[in-house]
Amino acid sequence: MTALLQLEGVTKRFGGLVAVNDVSLTVERGEIYSLIGPNGAGKTTLFNLISAVLRPTSGRIVFDGQDLTQKPTYALAKLGIARTFQNLAVFKHETVINNLLVGMHAHLRSDPLSAAFFWGRARKEELKARERVEEIIEFLEIEEIRDQAVGTLSYGLQKRVELGRALAISPKLLLLDEMVSGMNLEEREDIARFILDLKDELGVTVLMVEHDMGIVMDISDHVCVVNYGRKIAEGTPTEVAADPAVIEAYLGKRRAA
Amino acid sequence: MRTGHFKESPSQLIALSDSKVVWGWVGGLLCLMLAMPYLVGVYGLTLVVSALIAVIGAVALNMLTGQTGLISLGQAGFLAVGAYANAILLTDYAWPVWLTLPAAGLTSAAISILVGVPSLRLKGLYLAITTLAFSFIINHVILYAEALTHGPNGVFVKGARMFGFDVQKGLPLYYLALALTVATVLAGLNLSRTRIGRAWLAIRDHDIAARVMGIDLVRYKLLAFAISSFFVGIAGALMSLQIRFVNVDVFALILSIEALAIIILGGLGSVAGAVLGAVFLSFLPEGLRLFFALVADPNSTFYTNYVYEIRGIAYGAVIVFALRFKPEGLIGIWRDARKYWSNWPLAY
Repeated sequence: MTALLQLEGVTKRFGGLVAVNDVSLTVERGEIYSLIGPNGAGKTTLFNLISAVLRPTSGRIVFDGQDLTQKPTYALAKLGIARTFQNLAVFKHETVINNLLVGMHAHLRSDPLSAAFFWGRARKEELKARERVEEIIEFLEIEEIRDQAVGTLSYGLQKRVELGRALAISPKLLLLDEMVSGMNLEEREDIARFILDLKDELGVTVLMVEHDMGIVMDISDHVCVVNYGRKIAEGTPTEVAADPAVIEAYLGKRRAA
Repeated sequence: MRTGHFKESPSQLIALSDSKVVWGWVGGLLCLMLAMPYLVGVYGLTLVVSALIAVIGAVALNMLTGQTGLISLGQAGFLAVGAYANAILLTDYAWPVWLTLPAAGLTSAAISILVGVPSLRLKGLYLAITTLAFSFIINHVILYAEALTHGPNGVFVKGARMFGFDVQKGLPLYYLALALTVATVLAGLNLSRTRIGRAWLAIRDHDIAARVMGIDLVRYKLLAFAISSFFVGIAGALMSLQIRFVNVDVFALILSIEALAIIILGGLGSVAGAVLGAVFLSFLPEGLRLFFALVADPNSTFYTNYVYEIRGIAYGAVIVFALRFKPEGLIGIWRDARKYWSNWPLAY
């Protein structure tokens, strides 16, 4: 396996607060890599750094041989990095179809003139995009709701639409920020199944932040534990679960001893 | 209940409408519009032309405010730029009208980029105030750049001929306005079903997510400003053709507010809503006049004395009622009616 994503000594300071402190990690191609840690550990900040929503104070983030640290946020979709957000970030007034089509944005290139006339390239690529979106809808089993405004859907379905929107980017690397929080058991199992299918059928590399230990332990190839912005452990799920530093971070010192 | 409507090919999915019934109604409406000059008198036709200009302006503002979520109070300023560009090029430089119209649009679009660049980081009220300031600046520039704009004297618009017709009055003006309106509405509808329109909606609903999806916010916000102002400029040019004389007083703040009222009443973000809102508010003053003629004592001068005040109150009342009882606007009422009809006799 080769590395798809590498973080080298990444640090992010917000004024006096060091949210991410000298974190290095490597995500291999085609694996499911989980990032766990107590609340406020800096997981989401790390995600924001990888998806270029925030800039690191120091350190390097290399994706597929390219340094991401100087790239504008919008350039990442084109490189093949997609993400979902911890608190839903769907386009809530729009239909499911339109949400997924926005995900296709980086793959379309019609100019204003051909778009205004809807001729030639604009028409052809819209047709293609629409067919691709229908495939994603089928994959995620959301045929019934495709014409509904996303804001009117249940939380679980909105999350699923957000996942679909990320898939429309045709990502090499998919960042999932607490995908299953607030979902019931059945919805969680659906999502776990989708993630495994993505890895096995489409070869997508998945990096996820997750609080649900059931999912993390079941489907991850590697787990990284962060606390107070530092990486405290890394390895396979079983290794990490047995690590004294991890037990201490989650359960406190007395229990660990 | 209506059933049995199936999609048979993917191209139906991206069509504006794949229903023959809808296209039938659109064809009917177009025939009606083509026959309009023979159905209404000269005065009626003037009103219809004003309504068409309002439709162009509303569809254009809807791109910026309804779809991209950038609130603009600069509509009057962009209208003024378009109107003046058209008037000056026609009268002082004797350009043909088929060139001055696009030139008016492009001038307005170019100036919108100048306003757009400093406004990129602003949202909501802050942007509204910036665009408002812009429209005052435009007024002052027009007043003081006398060499170009004739300052407070205004410009008489003359010499607008197309295919040998004088397009400043009657049938030629009407058909020119109709053609430009149809083109604008089509462009509005087409843009909203391509990546550009969707990028605008994405920026409106969640700008960080939009960036992560690969949308360059700077580019698409400026594009929204430019495309919207292009059509507003054309609306302004048509206004200058219709009223034949432009000066700064025509482009008062109330125009910007009316434009916002139109798209709020019609239903923000919807092209069809903008059209409905524009038609409704354009004919509201006429409706009021007929209402007062009907109920008031024929010798009363109440309406003629207070015509502007009454109109202002009516606009305000319409907005308040729309926001209170139907925030989705006229297009929301239309959608409800359509749903009721197609599900009848079931409740929903």
